[in-house]
Amino acid sequence: MKENDADTPLSMMENWLKASTEMWEASLKMYAGAGRSAGAGEPGQRGGGNKLMDTWPANLKALQALSAAMSEPDALEGLLKGANTLPEILMKMVQPAMEGLVHLQKEWMEKAGRIGKSTAAYSFENLDQEAFRAWSEIYEKEFRQFLNIPHLGLTRFYQERMSEATDKFNIFQATMAEFISLLFLPVEKSSKVMREQLAEMADQGKLPEKSKDYYRIWIKTLEGHYMTLFKSSEYTEDLCRTLNALSEYAVARRKILEDALRMLPVPTQKDMDDLYKEMYILKKRIKDLEKKVKRTESPTNDR
Amino acid sequence: MTQTKIPVDLLLASLAEDAERAQVRAQKASDVLLDKLETDIAVTPYDVVYEEDRVKLKHYKPLGESTFNYPLLVVYALINRETMLDLQPDRSVVQTFLNNGVDVYMIDWGYPTRKDKFLTIDDHVNGYMDNIVDFIREKTNAKKVNLMGICMGGTFSVIYSALHPEKIKNLITTVSPTNFDTDQGLLHIWMKNVDADKLVDSLGNMPGDIMNLGFLLLNPARLMIDKYVGFMENMDNKSFVENFIRMEKWIFDSPDVPGETFRQFVKDLYQKNLLIKNELEIGGNRVDLQRVTMPVLNFYGKFDHLVPPGACNLLTSKVGSTDTRDVCIETGHIGIYVSGKSQKEFAPGIVQWLRDRDIDAEVRSQVA
Repeated sequence: MKENDADTPLSMMENWLKASTEMWEASLKMYAGAGRSAGAGEPGQRGGGNKLMDTWPANLKALQALSAAMSEPDALEGLLKGANTLPEILMKMVQPAMEGLVHLQKEWMEKAGRIGKSTAAYSFENLDQEAFRAWSEIYEKEFRQFLNIPHLGLTRFYQERMSEATDKFNIFQATMAEFISLLFLPVEKSSKVMREQLAEMADQGKLPEKSKDYYRIWIKTLEGHYMTLFKSSEYTEDLCRTLNALSEYAVARRKILEDALRMLPVPTQKDMDDLYKEMYILKKRIKDLEKKVKRTESPTNDR
Repeated sequence: MTQTKIPVDLLLASLAEDAERAQVRAQKASDVLLDKLETDIAVTPYDVVYEEDRVKLKHYKPLGESTFNYPLLVVYALINRETMLDLQPDRSVVQTFLNNGVDVYMIDWGYPTRKDKFLTIDDHVNGYMDNIVDFIREKTNAKKVNLMGICMGGTFSVIYSALHPEKIKNLITTVSPTNFDTDQGLLHIWMKNVDADKLVDSLGNMPGDIMNLGFLLLNPARLMIDKYVGFMENMDNKSFVENFIRMEKWIFDSPDVPGETFRQFVKDLYQKNLLIKNELEIGGNRVDLQRVTMPVLNFYGKFDHLVPPGACNLLTSKVGSTDTRDVCIETGHIGIYVSGKSQKEFAPGIVQWLRDRDIDAEVRSQVA
């Protein structure tokens, strides 16, 4: 590297740092002069003087020292070398993430492509559950861990609840999507069966003439497919999983709302539930007592 | 390969005809829909004679002197509303009862709110129902009342009759589940796997809309598609539109179910089937069906997909009564109350059965 060449980045940086050092030195001198002219005496001897002003000389000296040290040729060269390697470091950081993303996308496409392909008409017994759950799995394996990073500091509990709600919402969304895709399967299968039936009828020359008859065939086929689906254990499991995900999301969302409500002059749902429970128990006791009193007053009341 | 012969000309002609008809229908339908429609439900006059918390007791205004010695208390389910028994003037179970001189009382469970989430089956049966029965007995000077339960209200009525047999003259159960260990109905299959604790702990009360969605999913092809196709095809018919909207008003009027009641109903009944096994405990007392010694009339629908015959038809063999009767009508869960056929079979059948048993035991022995 040519040190005295004015066009090189090194010499430009050197000149700039030199000017910077001189600027801080001048500022320091100006400050010292200003202090004396005001008759305030030496810093630290002013009793109840401005403490902010006391810290100025130290800060300015530190900045001056930093600029001077940075303008040393060795340090400057090191700094520039670091700057040159920055894109390389960034690339190294991004590369695994990108590779992971591509891998996930590939996996997702493979699994999604299998959705609905593995079952025959009127059969929901061997659904490719893995394919339906592809997104959930990927989420749980790859993304969920970031939401579980421990939170720190004063607001850690609030952050934790926020992360939990985000997590539960993602799971609910994924489960719901899976459930909806399951509900759509009979429509898909019915269309296929309907096409086959119509082809058969056409071969026999028995195609219906009225559009209503086509509709009747379709709705009957659809109903049959839904009944088969609803009776399958896969559907029941999926339904329960969706309801559980909804419940868990509702709880997580309520916790966040309660955090927000605590800041406002309104009771939270938990406050109200506690109150309702107390009311419920008290009312029940009063009603029981009323009945006992009534029975004592007129023992023949129970005819 | 032989060429398939498709009658394209006939199909096109049919489509053209359909399109023409649809256009005419749409024109008429706009007149019907923009006209004033009579879609009110539950129009039979009544007085609210008792109130406790959210619960009200309706007393229908008699059309004349009651021809029965014992009043009738109708207990509806906590799901949907009791207005179904008085859906439209010409198809009203309540009207049929009144026309035949029955003194009709009906429980309106109201709309539970968050504060009702702690209410259990015990609170409904030994609390509200018992207070209401006592109120009616006091008001009418009758020693006992006739009790008629609808669906879940029928289950409550069976429990009540076992716990307080001295207050019940006759018990009528209609589409009421008492045996939950059956796989005839999808609801029974699904409920066995539902985590009731999780749902109640997170949602408080069980939202009516979620339950309604569940009912629609029992047969989406018919309930979410075919039903509305039927409406489109008949929307130029004013009377059809009015009745359709009445039914829509009723079906989507779904109060939430108090959380603790839902939890207990699912766990003790749907999942453990404790009632029919005489193992159910309510308010610290075991529900023993052998204590149901009054006459029992048990109605259910052959094509009921919510409460299938298998969930209803064990009851009469398990109760202590010697006067029991099962009636299976060829209809569904709602059809039993509103279908044209049921209007002749269902409510008049109940009236006659009650009339045959309206006589006091003492009088009966004297007559004998």
